[in-house]
Amino acid sequence: MIGRRTLAAALSALVLVLSVALAEAADKKVIRLWQTETEPQTLAVLNQMAAEYEKTHPDVSVKIEGLAWGDLERKLTAALAAGAPPDAAHGQPITCVSFAAKGLLRPVDDLADSIPKDNLVDAFRNLCQWNGKTYGVGHSPASSVFVYRKDLLAQKGLKVPRTWDELVQVAEALKEVRDGQVVRWGLTMTGQPLFINIAVGELLRTNGGRLFDAEGRPTLTEKPVLELLDFYKKLGRVLPPGWTGHSYLDTFANLANDKAAMLYQAYGRGVGYIEKYAAKDIADPDHFAVADKVVGPSGRTPAAQLDCEPWMVFKDAKGGPEAVDFLKFFFQDENYVPYLHSVPIHLLSIKKSTSRNPRYADNAMIRKWRPWVDMQEKYFRNDWIKPVLVTDWEDMKKPYLLEVMGSGILVDMVLDSVKGVPSAEAAARAQKRVEELLASSGYLKK
Amino acid sequence: MRRRLPGAVLGVLWILPALVLITSLILYPVAYAIWLSFFDKHSFFPAERWVGLGNYARIAGDAEFWDSLWKGVVYAGASTGLQLVLGLAAALVLHQAFRGRTAIRALVLFPYMIPTIVAVIVWRWLLNETYGVVDDVLLRLRLVREPVVWLGVDHMMASLIAVSVWQFTPFVVVSLLARLQTIPLELGEAARVDGASAWARFRHVTLPQLRAVLFVVVLLRSIWMFTKFDTVWLWGEGAGAGREIRTLPIYAYMRTFTYYQAGFGAALAVIMFLMLMAATLVYFRLFWGEEDAA
Repeated sequence: MIGRRTLAAALSALVLVLSVALAEAADKKVIRLWQTETEPQTLAVLNQMAAEYEKTHPDVSVKIEGLAWGDLERKLTAALAAGAPPDAAHGQPITCVSFAAKGLLRPVDDLADSIPKDNLVDAFRNLCQWNGKTYGVGHSPASSVFVYRKDLLAQKGLKVPRTWDELVQVAEALKEVRDGQVVRWGLTMTGQPLFINIAVGELLRTNGGRLFDAEGRPTLTEKPVLELLDFYKKLGRVLPPGWTGHSYLDTFANLANDKAAMLYQAYGRGVGYIEKYAAKDIADPDHFAVADKVVGPSGRTPAAQLDCEPWMVFKDAKGGPEAVDFLKFFFQDENYVPYLHSVPIHLLSIKKSTSRNPRYADNAMIRKWRPWVDMQEKYFRNDWIKPVLVTDWEDMKKPYLLEVMGSGILVDMVLDSVKGVPSAEAAARAQKRVEELLASSGYLKK
Repeated sequence: MRRRLPGAVLGVLWILPALVLITSLILYPVAYAIWLSFFDKHSFFPAERWVGLGNYARIAGDAEFWDSLWKGVVYAGASTGLQLVLGLAAALVLHQAFRGRTAIRALVLFPYMIPTIVAVIVWRWLLNETYGVVDDVLLRLRLVREPVVWLGVDHMMASLIAVSVWQFTPFVVVSLLARLQTIPLELGEAARVDGASAWARFRHVTLPQLRAVLFVVVLLRSIWMFTKFDTVWLWGEGAGAGREIRTLPIYAYMRTFTYYQAGFGAALAVIMFLMLMAATLVYFRLFWGEEDAA
């Protein structure tokens, strides 16, 4: 049996150890960062970066948490409602503007100024500005891309589609039926609400359309929107019947596993899935090729979604200055390059100097999938990319796009249309709901 | 000499912990939600504006509310009804003596014991129309000509009801089985001697004995299904087709956390609370009798 003295000694030792640990912890300032790159290798790089930072900053402890992209806004909202936001977090550009307008963020001009303006890729200089101040600096930009199976198109003598109508025709022609069963669909798209919001903004821009007028009033009953809804009806006939339930990753799986021949909303991350799941002899950009996004009947230029979450620092965060200091450390090439290499074709550099850095270019995946990187850079150069729901950069001055996205009204509009509601009726219904939302939130006069 | 506390004081002290818990965990949140429903309040700003019954008036004219209410009624009604029918049938079977009964009784509880998130992920995987087992089996057996899109707009509600029935029927089975085991065997035997058929014995002996338990089970399951959030949310999460199962709790959540209208969301929650109270009162008035209380 354990004697009283032994027990007392053990308890004393435990108390002592706990006291020392607590005292040490109390001395350290903990900074919490929420970010959306959840792949294990990226988290490993970030944790390694945090450990390196802590070596030179023994009074700071950096805690990095990975959050699923689709959960980010909800979790941030819940944390803000509870009065316990992290010190810094990724956010959609429209989330950043919305939070900045509500006074929830600390300006990060000090972080932005640490990267010379002429060193930032031009398209991302003003990613999150409010009242002349910078509230967000993108961690790395990417663009959505249109991917098609080059070999399958060639086999059927088809040309790469350039317009909405051609996309539908090619998708129909690529559909493969065996024993009465569809074994390969011509096209795959996700039905995830966030991505439907993204697609609505993106497709509308390819059709010369907009979501809001200069006064901020929704413009959902305009011709380009109605044409967009008609296009969705046509897409509904060539997409897999369950597309409205398909997640973003399901569509990558469809493409990589030969269940679909084209993917409209692909991202550089997709090459990881192709490398992993597609047959080895076709897992290359000669088979999985990228092309310009298709253009609508009333549009002239392609358009894509800018996938570039800015780092935001919360105003009430206790570790705001330390978070900014850590983020400056993050953007140093010796840390930034391994981060970008953790998802090579998806995480591109926001700094021109890093893109030119031989260390950055020295990556087998980047060399192999260069056409995918070039296509994204082409979109950046031509300013064809915009954040979700932004059809014109002026829209970034509208602080309510986050609420419009969260309400799911645009998703409902698309689904109404796909289910057979006449486009004009679906658009009018959505128009009324957005007006009601903006009026009740004080953004629009009734 | 130590003075003893008066009985009344001692009594209050004994119930104090329970009172504190009930007040802080039940009464305060309910009162706060009711209070909040009279304000126009953003979800994460302290400022609020008194609007009186304004939120309720807006709800009355909100097509989304009526749509969500209808979906909630369909979901709660269908899933509760099926749970009762299947639960009663399973309980009657498991009440019989047969080999392996204990193992099967334990197995029947399984769906109720696993976490909702696990159940939903497994079922979404099984029902996926591209690579799911269910469609594959249906196709091989030639029961369908093309895959059924369980998670698409047309079958989202039906598949949610099916998964909910799978998940929550064990509660009904256990509740009814417990009562079945306490019904005196002599009652059934007497009826059998009098020549009653199996159906007649069930109808006139077993069912009346189950009445009180059924009353409680119907009440609880209806309330729980009408207010069910986790299964419904996870089933529709990440899918545009999720709007086909946008029941009232989901809509209240959306108004609060994605529209950022906490006051409106609270008003929706209060309306749900009042509807359930009213339905419960009507239910008691219609089906609760002296004999049940006895």
